[in-house]
Amino acid sequence: MDGEGKVEISGAENMEDKLLDVRDLKVSFYSDKGSVQVVRGFDISMKKGEIVGILGESGSGKTVSSSSIIKLLDESLGSIDSGEAIFKGRDLLKLSEKDLKRIRGDEISYIFQNSSAALSPYKRIGKQLGEVLKTHGRVVSKEHILKTLEEVGLEDGERIYHMYPFQLSGGQNQRIMIAQCILCDPELLIADEPTSSIDASLQKTILELLKDISMRNKMSVIIITHDFGVARYLCDRLMVMYGGLVLEEGTIEEMLNSPLHPYTQELIRCARSLAEDDETMYTIEGAPPTPYQFRDECPFYSRCSLREGACREGIPQKIDLDGRRVRCIRYEKR
Amino acid sequence: MRVILKVEKLSKHYIIKSGAFSKRQVIRAVQEVSFQLVENQSLGLIGESGSGKSTVANLVLRLIKPSGGRIELFGEDITLMKEEEMRRYRKDIQIIFQYTNDVLDPQMTVDELLKEPLKIHGIVKDGELDQEVDRLLEQVGLSPSERWKLPGQLSGGQNQRIIIARAIATRARLIVCDEPVSALDVSVQGQILNLLISLKEELNLSYLFISHDIKVIRHMCDRIAVMKNGEIVEMGDVEDVLDNPQHEYTRKLIEAML
Repeated sequence: MDGEGKVEISGAENMEDKLLDVRDLKVSFYSDKGSVQVVRGFDISMKKGEIVGILGESGSGKTVSSSSIIKLLDESLGSIDSGEAIFKGRDLLKLSEKDLKRIRGDEISYIFQNSSAALSPYKRIGKQLGEVLKTHGRVVSKEHILKTLEEVGLEDGERIYHMYPFQLSGGQNQRIMIAQCILCDPELLIADEPTSSIDASLQKTILELLKDISMRNKMSVIIITHDFGVARYLCDRLMVMYGGLVLEEGTIEEMLNSPLHPYTQELIRCARSLAEDDETMYTIEGAPPTPYQFRDECPFYSRCSLREGACREGIPQKIDLDGRRVRCIRYEKR
Repeated sequence: MRVILKVEKLSKHYIIKSGAFSKRQVIRAVQEVSFQLVENQSLGLIGESGSGKSTVANLVLRLIKPSGGRIELFGEDITLMKEEEMRRYRKDIQIIFQYTNDVLDPQMTVDELLKEPLKIHGIVKDGELDQEVDRLLEQVGLSPSERWKLPGQLSGGQNQRIIIARAIATRARLIVCDEPVSALDVSVQGQILNLLISLKEELNLSYLFISHDIKVIRHMCDRIAVMKNGEIVEMGDVEDVLDNPQHEYTRKLIEAML
């Protein structure tokens, strides 16, 4: 089952515009049952200013793969088995911890899922933000901090500067997190479910904010989500992960209007069924596989209504169809 | 239609002191909330975090004592009922928690998890326990082979089915559903919503359904109450409220929907 899929081509893409190119990333975790590969094939290519969504269910590998790009994975828990992550000409996976520390928070920022836990409860906002600047060898300027607070829509910056996180609401803390991330004007922001811990009524505002900053600063964004609504609202391109693999990738319109992979098709039907308030919800029987259940076959095999014997003959190859990529043998024969 | 639950001007206040010399501050978590729930109906509670939804649920379940107001269950005042007396009602009113890894005891098998409520409330004779567990498993769409497994060996959706089975095991009439699908995968959410709807009809259940997701509430509920800062700001039939919201906050919630 190798060599069937076409080699991915960068086509008309301007190499100048390319910011990040991750290929063939594989990540394993150690467990008492031995080493388990949780990311089995992750590729992403990003242009400047582009917003790419990674959509997947729990255990699909979306958080592990995107945090591995800047080696946030605790080395006592797991290891990167293979792959490269070229960021502005350098392979991030080969850099020393010292060099990476310089890049993290400066050129590449990361918004964690539970933002309030990422802020120190003991330090005033102004001090915390000042430390970010200091760490990255920049001038600690109150003026710059206040300007950034304003940029993330916190109008009362002067007052907030002297407050502690617990004195602020969840939405305000989420904005502080974003402020912290854009303080050094990064070229890439990785946002892991940035709105899942805040109120539904604020979700749109925060997403809008990210979109604005991305446009204004030509900042690229990788957004990790399980919500089609979030992806549709924000992304230029979307990747769907399942079973530790990217199963499909395309522009957001292509993915929502003409999904190729049976999993994407079914998942969109599920989401639509709820949005349209069908009498009975459309469902996919079964559950996503956990890494312990990963086999050398299509991860969606057991739940797929279009499955055939050949689906079990190894992990399907990545096939390139005019810039769209899909891992399903149904597209191999063309 | 028989009224199952009637809540009148229910309040819960907490008094906090932020420092040794600071003034006492009263937090009004729930403020004079009134609603009723009739047989086989589901009432959705929606609102942002901190709006008091879960406090209302805890009050109704009598897990915390109210500061004021009245709760009637099947026409009987349970507002200040003593715990021993309350125990009679515990089996009638159950809760389905949001699924997290710690809702179910990780060291208990499915068999033990399902027998526990049956034994506590003396639902069936000891000799009929095994048969009853089989019946419950079938009712929530699990195969008999899952019976000897531990929660860690089951998927999120399967564990949520166990949680549901425990709630219906006691022949509950009223079930408080606290974000029952928000932690589940999109491809699994629908399975659980379908199950909750069919159980409601089959067992003539009433639901007090807490969610932050308007789409889920619209699908599951007959009526909706919108909460903000401990108060119900708008209440009515789910279609009326969502299609023609009167309160500014309800409009804001609907607009924020993606």
